[in-house]
Amino acid sequence: MKAELANRTVAALKEAGIDFVTYVPETRLSEILPVMKADGSFSLVPVASEAEAVGIAAGASLGGKRAAVYMEGTGLFVSTYNLLTVGERYGVPMLLLVAYVGSFEDQRNSYLFTHYGNKTKGMLDTLGIQYLIVDSANQLEGRIKDAVRMMHALKLPVALLFTGEFTE
Amino acid sequence: MIRYDCFEWLAPQMTDQLVITSLSGQRVEWGHLSKRDADLNLGSMGNALAVGIGLALALPHRKVFVFESDGSVLLSLFNLPTLANLNPTNLAVFVFDNQAYSGTRISYPSATAGKTDLAAVARGSGIEHSVTVSDLEDFKKEATGALSEPGLRFVVCKIEESLGHRRITRSDMDLLETKYRFVRYLERTEGKPIFQGRG
Repeated sequence: MKAELANRTVAALKEAGIDFVTYVPETRLSEILPVMKADGSFSLVPVASEAEAVGIAAGASLGGKRAAVYMEGTGLFVSTYNLLTVGERYGVPMLLLVAYVGSFEDQRNSYLFTHYGNKTKGMLDTLGIQYLIVDSANQLEGRIKDAVRMMHALKLPVALLFTGEFTE
Repeated sequence: MIRYDCFEWLAPQMTDQLVITSLSGQRVEWGHLSKRDADLNLGSMGNALAVGIGLALALPHRKVFVFESDGSVLLSLFNLPTLANLNPTNLAVFVFDNQAYSGTRISYPSATAGKTDLAAVARGSGIEHSVTVSDLEDFKKEATGALSEPGLRFVVCKIEESLGHRRITRSDMDLLETKYRFVRYLERTEGKPIFQGRG
């Protein structure tokens, strides 16, 4: 991700009230991590698995944090059970910041990713998780704001799938 | 040592500590012995420790107790290195290890019935205060320490398999009601809104 987009993404998350981020770093959006760290207004929680990233974010959300989980799209498959048992079944708001690897617009798509990418939306639909695709810079701030509003209204996980310009 | 005796001693000691329980008989027994708004019964395996970590990080001034089982911890072993590195000093984890998947009704042995030592796994992950207790007096010492002292604590409680929870009438409070009870309690005691989005 270009530095300018990383800066704008982090600024929009901050503006939307996100203050707690669990994550497993990946290859498309990782430039947001040093920006968030430098900003100082996020509690950053590195974890070993997206499964626990969801659980820890859920606990923080129930404790009053505005929580996000940053992961690669493959992590959605790792954390399916946790999204269902803690996120959806319990009804816990959290924002999923997902690098939508393997999608049409993924500029680094390859045989390594596309088998995940072409099932990502179907899997989110199955879980009942609402999502927006963010594939161009002019959508960025608006979609982050919309997704955060939706997650508070639903009291459920809501996903943003980053692809296109964000995967260059 | 059986889990019910541990809980029967511990429940009256609790004041404003937050408690997260996993699945299995512990959910039923703790729910029977403790009726506090500060209890969050998750009703799933492999999630209680992660949720407890998140709560402990979000509310560093509150003591958080997590009650886990051997099967549940084994399902999410990646929690242990994460916990060690985050090192929340307001978190105490008690793993009630009966060395079996007793919910299967055939008492299928877990890995801790074989070669696996969960306290050693936790120590190897970097959790310094990681111990095993096998009798009620030692459990009381660890629980008293957790109640009165700061510091991350990981306590494996070796217990006999007990099926007493199957004779306890289960709560009719569903998961959403449990969540709202817990969150409204936190809003009252923390003096801040948790959920956003007014109608």
